Amino acid sequence: MSGTMVTGTTTTGAGIAVSVLQVALTVVGAPLLVGMMRQVRARMEGRAGAGVGQPWRDLRKLMRKKPLDPHGTGPVFRTAPLIQVATTLMVAAAIPFVSVDTGVGEAADLIAVVALLTLGTAALALAGLDTGTAFGGMGASREMTITALAEPTVLMAAFALSTRVGSTNLPAIVDAGLKDAGRVVSPVSVLAAFALAAVVLAEAGRLPVDNPSTHLELTMVHEAMVLEYSGPDLALVELAAAMRLSVLLGLWSALFLPWGTATSTGVLAVLGATALFVVKVGVLGAVLAAGEVFMAKLRLFRVPELLAGSFLLAVLAVAASFFLE
Amino acid sequence: MNTLLLLAPIVVPAAASGAYLVLGWRRSTAHLGTASAALIFVVGVMLAVRTVRDGGFDALSGWLSGDPLAGFLLMVIGAVAVVACAASRGYLAGERADGHGDGPGERRYAVLVQAFLAAMACAVVAGNLGLIWVAIEATTTVTAFLVGHKRSRAAVEAAWKYVVICSVGIALALLGIVILYAAARHAGLSEASALDFDALAGHARRLDPAATRMAIALIVLGFGAKAGLAPLHSWLPDAHSQAPAPVSALMSGVLLSVSFSVILRTKQVADAALGAGFVRALLLIAALATLTVAALLLIGQRDFKRMLAYSSMEHMGLMALGAAAGTPLALSAVLLHIAGHGLGKAVAFCSSGQILHAEHTSRIEDVTGLAARAPVLAGTFGAAVLVLLGFPPFSLFASEVGIARAGFAAGLGWPTAAAFALMLVAFAAIGAHTLRMLAGPDPLHGSAPGSGAALRAQAPLISALLVVAVIGVAAWPLAHLLSAAAPVSIPWSTR
Amino acid sequence: MSGAASVQVLDFACGVFLLAGVGALWRRALSAVIGLLAVQGAALAVVAAALGADEHHPELYAVAAGVGVLRAGVLPGLARRALAASGEDRESEPLVNVASSLLVAAALVLLAYAVAQPLARLEGSQGSRALPVGLASVLIGLFMLVARRKALSQVAGFLLLDNGITAVAFLAAAGVPLLVEIGVSFDLLLVVLVLRVLTVRMQSAFGTTDLDDLRELHD
Repeated sequence: MSGTMVTGTTTTGAGIAVSVLQVALTVVGAPLLVGMMRQVRARMEGRAGAGVGQPWRDLRKLMRKKPLDPHGTGPVFRTAPLIQVATTLMVAAAIPFVSVDTGVGEAADLIAVVALLTLGTAALALAGLDTGTAFGGMGASREMTITALAEPTVLMAAFALSTRVGSTNLPAIVDAGLKDAGRVVSPVSVLAAFALAAVVLAEAGRLPVDNPSTHLELTMVHEAMVLEYSGPDLALVELAAAMRLSVLLGLWSALFLPWGTATSTGVLAVLGATALFVVKVGVLGAVLAAGEVFMAKLRLFRVPELLAGSFLLAVLAVAASFFLE
Repeated sequence: MNTLLLLAPIVVPAAASGAYLVLGWRRSTAHLGTASAALIFVVGVMLAVRTVRDGGFDALSGWLSGDPLAGFLLMVIGAVAVVACAASRGYLAGERADGHGDGPGERRYAVLVQAFLAAMACAVVAGNLGLIWVAIEATTTVTAFLVGHKRSRAAVEAAWKYVVICSVGIALALLGIVILYAAARHAGLSEASALDFDALAGHARRLDPAATRMAIALIVLGFGAKAGLAPLHSWLPDAHSQAPAPVSALMSGVLLSVSFSVILRTKQVADAALGAGFVRALLLIAALATLTVAALLLIGQRDFKRMLAYSSMEHMGLMALGAAAGTPLALSAVLLHIAGHGLGKAVAFCSSGQILHAEHTSRIEDVTGLAARAPVLAGTFGAAVLVLLGFPPFSLFASEVGIARAGFAAGLGWPTAAAFALMLVAFAAIGAHTLRMLAGPDPLHGSAPGSGAALRAQAPLISALLVVAVIGVAAWPLAHLLSAAAPVSIPWSTR
Repeated sequence: MSGAASVQVLDFACGVFLLAGVGALWRRALSAVIGLLAVQGAALAVVAAALGADEHHPELYAVAAGVGVLRAGVLPGLARRALAASGEDRESEPLVNVASSLLVAAALVLLAYAVAQPLARLEGSQGSRALPVGLASVLIGLFMLVARRKALSQVAGFLLLDNGITAVAFLAAAGVPLLVEIGVSFDLLLVVLVLRVLTVRMQSAFGTTDLDDLRELHD
């Protein structure tokens, strides 16, 4: 690991406080982000919309319902939502959203973060298979195909971003970007940004890879997988999906728009960075929602093309990090 | 005077091309093309005499340069062009008689043929590798519409493949030239001299070996495509069989050799920079691959124009073998082969065009008993094929023997033996196909046309065959020139 | 322009050049491919101008202007007119599907990087580091020539190939002598004109510009 890193190598009490803040922010903010994106979309389509708080109201309603397990499902089905929520929360604690000095320190590795997110996906895919229904299996197989195609891109992009820093440690990468703004606008960064943007869309299940608001059997991916959940379990799944979206957007903004992230754990700096982080993710979400209004979902067999393209961009980023830097 | 000598073979056909553009093709202008071709030949002789006596010279600050090889190639271009331009009259008249020809088409044909000659002459007398490239690529674009002259589906297809494959091949050569230029600039040569063959050969030891190797390989591959050498040869049979016969004669008889001469000149630089082994290996691979393709596809050939095209590939493969041997004897033999093959192939294509016109088919099996039906035409075609097969009175016999001897002497025993085994296959195939066309009963019992008129019409072709026979029996007019023109590499070790 | 700024511009232009090249392989709509070729030509002109600024070579500005006009304006314009004449805007069934093409392109970029090593050693100039960009365009152009079936796709592949060669010339040696450059550009223009006419003839003779239908000539 890089020896130039000062922050992020030790676990301090203030760092743990930052991580707790990030987790709390993610849990509270994620459904609001989803609500805001739906609202943007509704307004652009000329509808009134249900309001920013609607996802929270939905969650509250689902939580009050009686837990109900489909006949014949096992522990995999029941634990999957918990696993997904837990992994997403861990990731939220690790990524330097508001300050590079998180309580996770060395462990906040880009590859570890990606692995944790994939673990959540895999757990849910297993749950989809566990139900034994046609939709569950179909959704799981589609989801795993997309994940498998997206994974090489993530690793390549991580490689491109880490060669210049000499480390895959997330705080180190963000810190380097903060210290040298030229890095963030270099061709390597721009290429990696486009590559990871495609992956974020795929992993978060957004258009054009997956349509989060469809229940049409031919087109759903994520929704098909979780079709059998109800009550509090469904609430957890929905919450995890919302958190996943905000964490991925947050990761992208931390890597490619690091400005404003605090380099210390001073109270004022962290509060300022928190506000700025909320604004950044909010803007990204709004842009995404606005983009989706004009976008159609890709046919499933065109998805590999998109992901192959993003893989190519990631390879180009790696190549450029060798011959242009 | 020197500048004039180098400019004339470019300017005269270009002017003739312009004249055709203004005046069109008509009875009064029909001889203009032949005259300009004859002038190229005369200039070639003058250039050869002067440079053999006084040595080479540059003109226009090095953009043009004259040496014995340039003089020799101009002579071949001129001689073949005289035959082809003389045959063009008959070809265009035949087209018109068949109802295909029209004024604008004939005008375009004449304009493009002269522009083609100008571009080839430019490639020969250019002293700068970049300018040579420009001229060779210009021949592709100029001949594209000549290949597609007939506008049939097959002609359009042949023209498309011709332009795409040749342009891509030649573009690879441009990449090689660019890399060579970068290496030369890095070695301290000035902008003007970095693409000059003499300067490059003189500073060869200072060129970066890795970059030069890549550059030379690309140049050999690229100009090899235009010279009909494998692996980028697939345009050749299509283009040569679809082009009008006189154009096929020019393309097969000289264009291939002109591109090949660029490889010969490049080899001088490469041998000085990298030792003789590198280009030798490249040329041996190309030679054997080309010969194999040609021999295999000749066996089952059904179209006599395609047969002649594959025969061109076979001869180019043989020349590549001679160049690989690289000794003075081998290179002189290669140059003699260029001359003999150029004239022989020109006659063969021109007479094959007449057969096509008379029989309305280019399929071998549909033409039988030609000797009984049209004895003069059959005689010309048969004699031309004998030339190409390397029968003794003609010069190809001498040059093939020379290449074989040089190959064995240079320690290339096995490749030479393999090459001549493949030549034997090609020999048998061409011989059998030609016999089937000429001999046999005449199914139509057609009457032979008046032989006096036929003889007069065939006069240019017959005299070309006589020339090949004369240089075959007595190479005296050329012997001195051939040894002076052979671009022999200066041995690596003595530099 | 200061030295550092011209290097940044050079890097940026090289990046755009490469992206336009792979983008041309990505898109199926031929009009989009031609648009990307124009972008690539413009990037090439910027490369030439940045090198001119870097090496104080005012002649290169004129060359850059010429390259820009030809490769970003005239050639794409000709291709666009040929496209309008052929009336077919999509590469519907490429020989190699688009996803695999993109993976091949990734491999080709790495290959270009490996191949360029001996050349990058040659020159100490700013440009030689970016040489793989030009070679990658050459390789992608060649791949496009063999893997696509529409006549216009082959023209696009040829232009990619040629843009790549010109980029190598600029990056390795600050361009070939002016007269050669003019000759090369003129030949390129002629080739594209010839191919345009042939596309029209192919359309009228075969009723399509699908190269798979060219099956008249074989042994």
